[in-house]
Amino acid sequence: MNANADREEMMESVALYALGVLPREDAALVAAFIANDADALREYLDLRAAADSLAHTAEEPVDSVRSARMKERLMARVRADAAAGSVARRRTGPAYPAWMWGTGLAAAAAIVFSVVTVAQDIGVRGDLASAQRRAAALQTQLAQNDRNARQDRHTLTDLLARDAKRYDVAAGTVIVRRDHIYFAFSKLPALPKGRVYQAWVAPKGSKQVAPSVTFTPNADGVAVVALPVDATRVGAVAVSVEPEGGSKAPTTTPTFVRPLT
Amino acid sequence: MDPGVRLMERVVARDVGAFEALYDGYHRLVFGIGLRMLGDPSMAEDLTQNVFLKIWTTPDAFRGGSFVAWVSRVARNRALDTLRSKAVHPESEIPADLPLEGALDDDVFSRLDAQRVRDALAKLPPEQRGLIEMGFFGGATHQELARRTDTPLGTVKTRIRSGLKRMRESLGERVSR
Repeated sequence: MNANADREEMMESVALYALGVLPREDAALVAAFIANDADALREYLDLRAAADSLAHTAEEPVDSVRSARMKERLMARVRADAAAGSVARRRTGPAYPAWMWGTGLAAAAAIVFSVVTVAQDIGVRGDLASAQRRAAALQTQLAQNDRNARQDRHTLTDLLARDAKRYDVAAGTVIVRRDHIYFAFSKLPALPKGRVYQAWVAPKGSKQVAPSVTFTPNADGVAVVALPVDATRVGAVAVSVEPEGGSKAPTTTPTFVRPLT
Repeated sequence: MDPGVRLMERVVARDVGAFEALYDGYHRLVFGIGLRMLGDPSMAEDLTQNVFLKIWTTPDAFRGGSFVAWVSRVARNRALDTLRSKAVHPESEIPADLPLEGALDDDVFSRLDAQRVRDALAKLPPEQRGLIEMGFFGGATHQELARRTDTPLGTVKTRIRSGLKRMRESLGERVSR
């Protein structure tokens, strides 16, 4: 396949991403491509606007009984929360734990149902305990999935945000948004076994670099990396090739050094 | 300005009346997205409840732009979460969530109306329209769409891209970036 065909295929994936039908493992790859390609970003924004408009077609009249019931339930919760002093609660965190929402809420309901069903069908205390342990493990896994999904959402949002600062580097882009720094590489060369890429950060006003995360690209040379640093304190970033496990100081000539100015 | 934006400013200040007005104005949209994606009125009702409770408890999650666009994405992502938790599909077949905020200029979103979007959809060839609607509301990946419609994967990709481009053209300046 030639380069034009490859590019067309990626642009088709941009449309899939805009519609929201890519699996998560592919979404990061496409987001990295979009972040590195001005034409792809333009097309993504166009198609995403068209895809978003589809939501308008979903608006449904809700029958009056259901509508009244829904509103009554909701407003009872809201009024109770307001009366209890929600402002103070918001300062100390969400009133409802994150896991209760979406996946967590549905999963919790499913877990309760499964536990009750097991108890009725088997009626054996030991089996119930076993089911509860499995339910707890499942709940933990679902909560982790939820956290991962939220993190993915934030990363993808930052990568494609209009207000993000972008710095071209070898094989990709450094993206800074608010206090976050990301590397989005789309063409990183593969490394020999036992070698990894390592990120480095230099604080503002310093020429000394500190070690950051290590990473390896996928088979297509794609890597999206979030640096665990406060971007507002970083003056420059760099990447070098290091032994697996990383180094305390660069041992090879950096692939790039990029001031964030 | 999207009236939802003004109401959200008051919700942040814990104005119950503004929240009630927000609910009155947008619950049909949220319920409709839930119903289209989950196919069950009771589940759509729960989703609506969850979305609006989330708005009340963490209104700061809305960071400007069009409220309609934002609440639509929240509703769609919640529905995807529900589909995922139901394990209707293996994990790899659940599409990625859409970024929630800030990536797009949403101001124009609120200028659209349902009839205009339906008209734009109606202009598409059925094979493009079907894939786009199934993809957006069905919670399926492109591979799943190919399987369900017995269409080659490459054709699915091409049709989705062409269809979205035509929609974009039909909606014209009302959907600007």
